[in-house]
Amino acid sequence: MDMRLMPLLPLVTKPARYTNNEVNAQHKEWSEDKITMALAFPDIYDVGMAHLGFKILYSIINGRRDAVAERVYAPWVDMQQLMLEHNIPLSALESGHDLRDFDLVGFTLQHELSYTNILKMLDLAGIPRRTSQRGEDDPLVVAGGPCAFNVEPIADFFDFVVLGEGEEVIHEILDLVKEKKGQEAGRTEILKELARVPGVYVPSFYRPVYANGRFESLEPLYRGLPTRIEKRVVADLNTLPFPEEFVVPFAEVVHDRVMVEILRGCTRGCRFCQAGMIYRPVRERDPEVIKELVAKLVESTGYDEISLSSLSSGDYTQIGPLVRELIDIYQGCGMSVSLPSLRLDSFAVELAQEIQKARKTGLTFAPEAGTQRLRDVINKNVTDQDLKEVVQGAFQAGWSRIKLYFMIGLPTETEEDLDGIVDLAHRVLKWGREFRTSPRRPEVTVSVASFVPKAHTPFQWMGQDTLESLAAKQAYLKERLRRPGITFNFHHGEQSLLEAVFARGDRRLSQVLERAVDMGCQFDSWIDQFRYDLWLQAFRDVGLDPADYAQRSLEPSQPLPWSHLSPGLDTEFLLREWQLAQQGIPTADCRWDRCTRCAVCFDLAVANRLTEGSSGE
Amino acid sequence: MSNAIRFQFSKGPEVMFLSHLDVLRAMERALRRAKLPIAFTEGFSPRPIMSFSFALPVGVLSEAEYADFRFAEEMDPADFMERFNYHLPSGFQVIAAEQLAEGSPSLMNEINAALWKVALPHTSRKEIEERLRGLEARDSFVVERQTKKGNRSVDLLPLLFGVSKIEESGNGVDVHCLAGVGNEGNLRVEELGLLLGFSPAEAVITRIGQFKKAGSQYWTPLGNRGFTWTER
Repeated sequence: MDMRLMPLLPLVTKPARYTNNEVNAQHKEWSEDKITMALAFPDIYDVGMAHLGFKILYSIINGRRDAVAERVYAPWVDMQQLMLEHNIPLSALESGHDLRDFDLVGFTLQHELSYTNILKMLDLAGIPRRTSQRGEDDPLVVAGGPCAFNVEPIADFFDFVVLGEGEEVIHEILDLVKEKKGQEAGRTEILKELARVPGVYVPSFYRPVYANGRFESLEPLYRGLPTRIEKRVVADLNTLPFPEEFVVPFAEVVHDRVMVEILRGCTRGCRFCQAGMIYRPVRERDPEVIKELVAKLVESTGYDEISLSSLSSGDYTQIGPLVRELIDIYQGCGMSVSLPSLRLDSFAVELAQEIQKARKTGLTFAPEAGTQRLRDVINKNVTDQDLKEVVQGAFQAGWSRIKLYFMIGLPTETEEDLDGIVDLAHRVLKWGREFRTSPRRPEVTVSVASFVPKAHTPFQWMGQDTLESLAAKQAYLKERLRRPGITFNFHHGEQSLLEAVFARGDRRLSQVLERAVDMGCQFDSWIDQFRYDLWLQAFRDVGLDPADYAQRSLEPSQPLPWSHLSPGLDTEFLLREWQLAQQGIPTADCRWDRCTRCAVCFDLAVANRLTEGSSGE
Repeated sequence: MSNAIRFQFSKGPEVMFLSHLDVLRAMERALRRAKLPIAFTEGFSPRPIMSFSFALPVGVLSEAEYADFRFAEEMDPADFMERFNYHLPSGFQVIAAEQLAEGSPSLMNEINAALWKVALPHTSRKEIEERLRGLEARDSFVVERQTKKGNRSVDLLPLLFGVSKIEESGNGVDVHCLAGVGNEGNLRVEELGLLLGFSPAEAVITRIGQFKKAGSQYWTPLGNRGFTWTER
């Protein structure tokens, strides 16, 4: 760790966030012939330690003799204050080297509301924010992750950006940077070489053009630059490296457990869901490989919980047999198996029953919309009948607490759809009274988020509801859900608005972000830190209107600032889906039904890869 | 033979900022990595059967933490020590272990005194001696203690059993203090600071012993070695 922080540790909350020395942390010697990369997570340790993508990269990079990867997280506000007072720059956990001493600093873009933290971390590290301000001694600052598919609002802060899956391209990047550093090549030369690597985007080599206050086009500044950057995708998960060791944190962090990714991608095709669009196709990991990884990770970490992770784990072809086998092996030794992201079907209840044999804590379902009509619009293929069977089954099996996730502000939504949410919550409570076997009173939690249109989804053209309208809908629901047994939660509309601005934004927003950070905005996803007033001030100061970004509906003919950043989807497919949505016609999953012609498999020469066997039994 | 083991462990600088709960979690995971067959409680949510001596404050070092582990089968203390030490995170070390007789009182019930070494880098022996004379002249040293149920007045003087040693070290001194710990009467490190006139953030504090105290007799919870210290 950074010994300069030692005297500050007694003065901060949760000092174990900053002390390192965790089991399986890699402390590699720094030397001239090694390339060094800091994996920078733009939130605190407690949140960032859960991120599987960085665990994978950490193990791949440190698996190379010629490379070092270290971790860095955003210090919490109390530590930031002390670091500034004592003039201590941001450093990496393992060696305590300053962030600015690394060859590469890689940020993951998981969420739009973490963007302020990126600038804050660069500020604390003493690294110039903008790529145009950086000199030969500064690290190359790179970004990846889901939000890279519209990196434009923050493109000016990154020397280069990687689209898609990192497992293969990371080697190409490290090899190239190492070779060029050895030749003492300058930044521009290195970036020019990087721009030729498939999946790599160098924003400073392109210039956006605006006309009448709207994005018009993106012009390459050099000959030979790709006009469309295709994401990187791996064909087969089984041949991919997956860590056999995780760093085991001392401090309490979220998702502190063995995590094995059992499948990647989802083709359910929910029309609001960006993950379901950008991570295609579906690739399942072989159950034998999964069991071996679980065994190795259990042994190297000592965790007591095993989580089988993916976008929709119930869709894994052999999920039943896999879960049963893992329970047989591990449940006896005081360990548990968990399945996040379970879809709502009767099989899910069966699985949950196996998993939560002893303590039935609660079941969470995401119908997303209150009526069948609206569920067809968003292509959430869950029927009223499914809901009824599943919820009744869950109460019969002994659960007493059901949590339901919904969205408001979805395209074509009417009052009837809001009533549908209310009605469903009441019906669930009623089913609870009729079918429960638990002595506890049935409880229903209704959690309502505001729809945020995201780039590369069929709903990318749709404007977000206004704050007034969202607030009115929340009030409408709150009024009608006020009764014993029902708890109603909702997300703050202002945060969803900001998320929408950056999700569909362009490069002009970089100035707003800088201004907001200068005024003190950071940790925007933490409601006690979120300063909407300062954000509004920042927009005013720069002369941009947040509503224009978030709430404007776009014409399909209009150029989109993110169209060059390609997850392999055909715009025609998105448009078809957008039209089907408006007609309320669902689209089936291409895993089990016909091809939806999204073009990913064709464009990127990959295919859905399912394991043998059938789901259920 | 018994299935329970009592052991003494140290907490070094690498792990001094872990909370008591962090330590418990780290030990549970080390047990699992070492494949040591800890016993579990019965019931819906089985917990490993482990009990610890009174929580060490965050930021304090220790050479004398104690814990009792119950195993599902007979466990050889030397074997336990070797396997557990191999898998413990660096900064923790088991120093001694022995089998615990059935029906032994728990550490929380037994331990009532601690020996603290307070390293004060910029304090002289004279200053400490003066401070102690000042304390001797007093009848009481009452402070307000914040508890969950509001503030409560506590006299700290009876909780400090004495200063057993003052050693010069560099430009400063190491002060060895015997004080009450646990439910019968606990002197917090910040209160020890109030008595001796230091701030815990400036001192390096190490718990170097924990004892069962009966009058002037002090016994270690493990090995049953004893000494006598008479309070003035």
